[in-house]
Amino acid sequence: MTAKKENATKNGTSYVKQQTEKRGASQWAVAWRRFKRNKSGLIGLFMILTVFFVGIFHNQIARYPARPNPDAFKPLYENEAGEPPSLKHLFGTTTLGTDVFSDVVHGTVYTLYVAILATFIIVLLSVSIGVISGYLGGKVDDILMRITEAFLVFPTLPLILVFARIFQLTLKETTWSLPFIGVKVPIGLTTVILIISIFGWASDARAIRGEVLKIKEAEFIQAAKALGSDSVNIMIHHIVPNVLSIVIILASLTMASTILTEAAVSFLGFGDPNSVTWGYLLNESYNDLSITWWAEVFPGLAVFWTVLGFNLLGDGLSDALNPRLRE
Amino acid sequence: MSDSYILEVKNLQTYFFTEAGIVKAVDDISFNVERGSTVGLVGETGSGKSVTAYSILRIVPRPGKIVNGKVFFNGEELLSKTEEEMRKYRGKKIGMIFQDPNSSLNPLFSIEEQLTDTIVAHERISKQEARNKIIEMLAKVGIPEPSTRIKWYPHQFSIGMKQRIAIARALLLNPELLFADEPTTNLDVTIQAQVLDLLRTLKNEMKMSMVLITHDMGIIAEMTNNVVVLYAGKVFEVADTKTIFKKPLNPYTEALLATVPRLDIKKKLEPIPGNVPNLIELPSGCRFHPRCKYATQICKEQEPPLEEVEPGHFVACHHWRELE
Repeated sequence: MTAKKENATKNGTSYVKQQTEKRGASQWAVAWRRFKRNKSGLIGLFMILTVFFVGIFHNQIARYPARPNPDAFKPLYENEAGEPPSLKHLFGTTTLGTDVFSDVVHGTVYTLYVAILATFIIVLLSVSIGVISGYLGGKVDDILMRITEAFLVFPTLPLILVFARIFQLTLKETTWSLPFIGVKVPIGLTTVILIISIFGWASDARAIRGEVLKIKEAEFIQAAKALGSDSVNIMIHHIVPNVLSIVIILASLTMASTILTEAAVSFLGFGDPNSVTWGYLLNESYNDLSITWWAEVFPGLAVFWTVLGFNLLGDGLSDALNPRLRE
Repeated sequence: MSDSYILEVKNLQTYFFTEAGIVKAVDDISFNVERGSTVGLVGETGSGKSVTAYSILRIVPRPGKIVNGKVFFNGEELLSKTEEEMRKYRGKKIGMIFQDPNSSLNPLFSIEEQLTDTIVAHERISKQEARNKIIEMLAKVGIPEPSTRIKWYPHQFSIGMKQRIAIARALLLNPELLFADEPTTNLDVTIQAQVLDLLRTLKNEMKMSMVLITHDMGIIAEMTNNVVVLYAGKVFEVADTKTIFKKPLNPYTEALLATVPRLDIKKKLEPIPGNVPNLIELPSGCRFHPRCKYATQICKEQEPPLEEVEPGHFVACHHWRELE
């Protein structure tokens, strides 16, 4: 009897504790708890963290420096070109005489640059267009959505290839130092990123517009209007924060797709010849596929690992931030 | 444009242009609000009460459009103002409270952020001043410990408290006119009484006029000086509150009153048969005739005009003499 009672109180207190914990938690803490329960999301997060780790410490991890430093071709001088994977050359060496492992590690930086910059631009474009179009509605919506649809029906890859080639031909310099920080940015790759972004925002903008259409029916929007907020204020203060969760999910998936597009562009030989990205490595060794398969497989696996990671992360975020979608 | 009226609505028509057809949500509505008084807009769901309020504030959602009419606020016509001029009226001179405080407060922002939003839409004052103003107002609407609760988020309050916050937000800038769109519909009865009490006290204290939208005749009796009875977008009867309850001259008003339980008269409650008509295809003649027990041939053929049957008492019915 007493044991039962004790048990009940114990359960009671733990229940109360649970409740207060739940109530005290912020929206993000709740989302994180939901995210933690999702195995594939966690795996995705881990995969992405490894990519970032490699990207940040690429100079420490790689055995040879990045090209175009002549030391990158050291294996060639040591007569080790075209060697299969070994302890010294984990991923083998190319017929050109570079270490594939080092190439892949240095390529990570470019990949992250592509993913972050392209996604930043795409999010900026798609949020502004989606929010303006969805909130203002009417003629503005009609015009913006027709433009969006035009971008959606373009066969984007051939167009990206054409524009990439045109811009590459007009470029004179290969790098550009950022003012103040002095970081060197590869111009060719940046151009490719811009082109990918310009052709990549449309589907995100449509998804965000759909979400805005839902949010703008909420009474608090009508209330804000009734109390004198102007459209700009309502869009920035009420609409954007309420579509943020979907933007985060889309951003993760966009990172995956932009990496994939850049790899495709470079693989087809339309990328920046001065940036040794994973796609560029694939293109470079493609002709020697029958001799040095490792020079092809490992950059390919790197793309696979990163894209899969971002996709799993995106799905996990989607479950955590948008739990209603699952039901 | 008599000076005793703060709000005059004349022949207001707001239609919704949907794909199924034109919905005449507000179809030629006129009424006045005397300075310092409370006017009740009463009617069933879909009678155009809320759309009337939205039209006066010019926040009718798409695809709705104000197609005709004039709205005078303090003698100034509102419908011909530019959007930016109009924005300055909303919240500053005309406040509004919504039905459901669960959805009329943005869940992502603290009370302080939301109420500051309303202030900065109209005034340039420092953060500290805005905070003091908000705390003062929160205290006025009966939020305990306003200086700590100002940091709270909507979900941390009970629904009654949320409605008090919504009231505080509407009254923050001392508006002259307040629209209350079914402010107590979603609240428990005990809290209803508290909120109505609060509204009445604040209204007198701040010398406001009020337009109270409701379908509850009890609230009408309790709160209003004048009543406008709406049905399917038309005014059916206008009178002072006493007259409406003592001597309703429109069958619809009578029917509405018959749905309210009364202690003084022993009578069965009578529901009104049928539903509010489809606003796209309105019945011919008087739009209430399919549900009206007094209906005759003329009701099917002619729409009754709004007649002044005695000073200040307007009725739109062919048979008002029979009800007298």
